[in-house]
Amino acid sequence: MTLATLPSTEGPSGQPAPASRQPRGGRLLGPLLAMPGIVWLLLFFVAPLYVVLAVVFGGVDPIFRTVIPVWNPVLWSSDQPIYVLTHIVGDDGIFGPALLRTAVYVFTASVLCLFIAFPIAYYVARLSGRWKGLLLTLLIAPFWISYMMRMLAWVNLLANDGIVNRIISMGGLLPDDTEWLSGKSVVVILGLVYGYVPYMIIPLYAGLDRLPSELIEGARDLGANRFSAFWRVTWPMSRPVVIASVLLTCLPMLGDYFTSDLLSGSPSTSMVGNLINNTVLTPGQTGQAGAFVLLVLIVSLVPMLYYVRSVSRSDGAAI
Amino acid sequence: MEPRKSALPRPAFDRRALLRNAALLGISVPALSTLLQACADSPTGTGPGGGSPTEALKIASPDNPVTWDIADDNQPIADGLQPEKGPLLLYNYADYIGPAVVKSFEEKYAVDVKISTFNDTDEALTKIRTGAVPFDIYFPSYDQIARMVTAKLVRPLNHSYIGNLGNVWPTFANPWYDGEARYSVPYSVYTTGVGWRTDLVPDDIAALENPYDSLWNPDYRGKVGIIDDWHTAMAMVALRSGVTDVNSENPADLEIIQQALTELSQATKPKVTVSMYNDLPSGQLGISQMWSGDVVNAQYYLPGGQSVDILRYWFPEDGTGLVDNDLMLILSGGKNPVLAHLFLEHMLEEKTSLKNFGYIGYQPPQNALDTDRLVADGYLPENLATAAVREEWFDVAYRLLELTIENDAAWHQVWQQFKAGA
Repeated sequence: MTLATLPSTEGPSGQPAPASRQPRGGRLLGPLLAMPGIVWLLLFFVAPLYVVLAVVFGGVDPIFRTVIPVWNPVLWSSDQPIYVLTHIVGDDGIFGPALLRTAVYVFTASVLCLFIAFPIAYYVARLSGRWKGLLLTLLIAPFWISYMMRMLAWVNLLANDGIVNRIISMGGLLPDDTEWLSGKSVVVILGLVYGYVPYMIIPLYAGLDRLPSELIEGARDLGANRFSAFWRVTWPMSRPVVIASVLLTCLPMLGDYFTSDLLSGSPSTSMVGNLINNTVLTPGQTGQAGAFVLLVLIVSLVPMLYYVRSVSRSDGAAI
Repeated sequence: MEPRKSALPRPAFDRRALLRNAALLGISVPALSTLLQACADSPTGTGPGGGSPTEALKIASPDNPVTWDIADDNQPIADGLQPEKGPLLLYNYADYIGPAVVKSFEEKYAVDVKISTFNDTDEALTKIRTGAVPFDIYFPSYDQIARMVTAKLVRPLNHSYIGNLGNVWPTFANPWYDGEARYSVPYSVYTTGVGWRTDLVPDDIAALENPYDSLWNPDYRGKVGIIDDWHTAMAMVALRSGVTDVNSENPADLEIIQQALTELSQATKPKVTVSMYNDLPSGQLGISQMWSGDVVNAQYYLPGGQSVDILRYWFPEDGTGLVDNDLMLILSGGKNPVLAHLFLEHMLEEKTSLKNFGYIGYQPPQNALDTDRLVADGYLPENLATAAVREEWFDVAYRLLELTIENDAAWHQVWQQFKAGA
């Protein structure tokens, strides 16, 4: 469904419009403007990615067993990635549970984030009226405090004698001995939701705020009730921004390790980020950390490609 | 609504092209990999464990003491040199040196001392090897010394600057891991046992037939802690399972340890951490594998109004547990070797050493310290008298040794599986 009116490349008669006159030096302007972005990508994406590859396919120091990056691809050894890939499933599948756990945690947390973030963003963008500025400020407020500090705050709140247990106990009416920080999956998932939900609300707000209200009004004028107008007009229009928001949150969640470290500390909640963190400085295992990084990268590319495809289909209507 | 045809050109890739390219990539990558393998003259890649020339590494043990050679290009400093102007860079665990003893050194020599911290010595060694920061003094355990001396990362000592080495237990004047103390001086001694809170753990752990078993007790699920150090934790698991060779090269022993770790995960879901000195007094943990120094420290982290009487510590009375000692090494990459020698001398001085003990909770192996009087002298509360470390235990206890390259990889692999929550 196309929702935005795109500038036509045809003239009124159906003939191609004459090319608009380009300013002097216009040919160079595009590449020139693109240059900072290209340099940025080369320096901070392509080069680091090559370093990761040189580590993953590199060697190991015989004495210290630290990694020796091998820069020449001809000399690359695939021992480390093969070790990781052959230890995911089966009898030797020591990494499989953590990878599966990561998928379940990230999926559950992303869905919960969406259920929380969408109504909030929708309300602020479309229904809050004069309170919009204040609400927007409050939505941005969590960004003023670092993620780690917010998680550390929860460590105190969820401690055995913390406020959460004291509130639950309601003066002794309910049991207050829940050990929240003792390796509970649900605590890690809720920690992820709490930590990343602002990252979903902001882009959702930005997208929903820009939806053309005329189309929704048009749907109401044509007889759609509120729900029908939402389901048939607002939701399809907001789908690209929903996908973008989910991506923005689930990608960092995939590499998260300190939520599990701080709110659990137990191997029973280890995620792929913990595998990376545990192996990256362990003698002889740094290449495996790189292999996990590549694995996350490849898994992340799938939804990213879907997003690119989805946006190109909708002709860039949203975002 | 009929979708309007886009006026924009089609994207550069479509589904068919994408699938075709993915298939080509899928075919070509293994082929390319094989080709690269065939061409490769892999310099050091030797599988997930890596490494090969174990013979290049001498492994010291109490039965096989080693006196390290001093290389021609890594000689000790000359006698009687003037100290540098600093700043002196220390590389240490967090909260593992008293600010007051550092300050007194700064005042004595009118220099700055800067402290950088690490979480574990694997991480520290990796960073030291990069040479990015010219650390002067490093505080590891003795189980890295072979690698460090072999790689000339550590500078041999000139004992003329360190007369206070005579203050330490005789065993450390000529230790088995560093004959003649050519490269190291001792910093602290400690045991590894089990600490618990009597209000959360009603059983008398010390009275159990095998006190290590308490960490597997499902009644304490969610209250159990294990030290986040692969060798220390796995050695405890070995001892609990009756494997007394805590450096075993026998795959069957590692199999037993792996099985016991799996049972541990299932029984109590332990927290794997190094912050039990805080987690036990705060009540997050009820029982934990602990270093003796940490249980001493735990008394200072108890919430206000909580009596220290609730803390307990068990270590085998006959000393047949894990004992360790940490070192001070002068790194060859440091820029203040004379000042570093003077710092070692300062830390081995009796008063400084005892003052530091009062802060870090880890006992220095000082002759002046009467182990029987640690409670009477106020260093330990009576209920933690078991945290005192006795010199004679170093003759009978189990020691964590530096492992051969291959064995080290095998042990790390078991630990990796445990930490992955498999």
